[in-house]
Amino acid sequence: MNIKEYISTGILEAYVLDELSSTERIQVEKDLTDYPQLRVELELIETTLEVLMQTASVTPRARLKENILSLAGEGAKQGRIISIAVSPMWRWAAAASVVIALVASYLAFDYRDKWISSTVALNDLIDSNQQIAQDYNNVNQRLDKLQNDFSIIENNAFSKIILKGTENNPEALASVYWNSASQEVFLSIQQLKELSAENQFQLWALVDGKPIDMGVFDANSAGLLKMNLINNPDAFAITIEPRGGKASPTLETMQVIGMVNKG
Amino acid sequence: MVAQLKAKNKVALNYLYDHYSAALNGVVSRIIKNDDLAEEVLQDAFLKIWNRIDSYDPAKGRLFTWMLNLARNQAIDKTRSKEISKGKKTDDIDNLVGNADKQNSSEMFVDSIGLIEVLDKLPDDQKFVVDYLYFKGYTQSELAEDYDIPLGTVKTRLRMAMITLRSIMNVN
Repeated sequence: MNIKEYISTGILEAYVLDELSSTERIQVEKDLTDYPQLRVELELIETTLEVLMQTASVTPRARLKENILSLAGEGAKQGRIISIAVSPMWRWAAAASVVIALVASYLAFDYRDKWISSTVALNDLIDSNQQIAQDYNNVNQRLDKLQNDFSIIENNAFSKIILKGTENNPEALASVYWNSASQEVFLSIQQLKELSAENQFQLWALVDGKPIDMGVFDANSAGLLKMNLINNPDAFAITIEPRGGKASPTLETMQVIGMVNKG
Repeated sequence: MVAQLKAKNKVALNYLYDHYSAALNGVVSRIIKNDDLAEEVLQDAFLKIWNRIDSYDPAKGRLFTWMLNLARNQAIDKTRSKEISKGKKTDDIDNLVGNADKQNSSEMFVDSIGLIEVLDKLPDDQKFVVDYLYFKGYTQSELAEDYDIPLGTVKTRLRMAMITLRSIMNVN
């Protein structure tokens, strides 16, 4: 596994945000035990986050602490022993009430136990329910994305421009879907080479001979990528630039290019 | 510390509160603008931390991260509940932390000037993701969808932001 590339995707930050699907999360947890370097990186991320959050501190109102501590500590109250000098009849009555009190406390304890264990079970259920809901949302989002992608590919308002490999990389291939009315641009990657973590691909549009930045992306991006809007482009091209992109293209690194058919 | 918590030692809860309540509240009170609701959410978050400490596994990350996520999720859930209308969608993109804090004129925000200084040192696109993900209650996929940024870009920007923050705040 290429650790640098793995880290540069930001997957560990998403893990720290608790925003991975359960499959992804389980995989990351496994990777963390398999690759100590990942664990070191994770700790750096977590420490940075903690320092940031301490910087962002807002002290809550003082009464909150008491509330929390008392709510967290709700437990059985202590009884007190009171001695009463009384007649034998009262002794019997007292003895009987002690028995009743004992039975009642036992029942109270028993119910409290049951209540606690059902609260725990309920919390577990709520947790797993949240997990399922999250997974469901993830799947739904992916489905939405697929349907969306499909509708763009099918839509006649989009013209498809095939970007073919340059001599830098003749096998490279990508397509751009451009809507002349809405100016929307979507990119589909068929074949682009792997980049080191420091670099990213950048899409450019050529308008009246001038290159316009259309956004950066990584080679492993799946499905259609929504790029910047553009009006009346003559051509599209992809270059390799430092991560985050540049203001003007490094033409020597051009990977693919395709002309817009204006017929 | 974790063992003490798992043993339900209230001294440990006391310690957690003293050391982390302000940090967690920093997130909760920025996501939830109403002071009373924010306080309720923070209280619920602490009770969850206390009641669910058994599900925390140190092998999977730091205790602070776990607590932060409980608090952040609790706050995000609250913004989705009917009690709050999600007014944040209308926020201007330029309305970053600085502005948001000024709207809450209460003296509680005096101690957050440090945050504005730190975030101002980030490039705008990195500042944007940190602000929206951690202080405005957006998830990564919501941010991607609402602002038409590819999800992968959201992830790599957060990654770059964490690296920049690391050097700004001297974390080693």
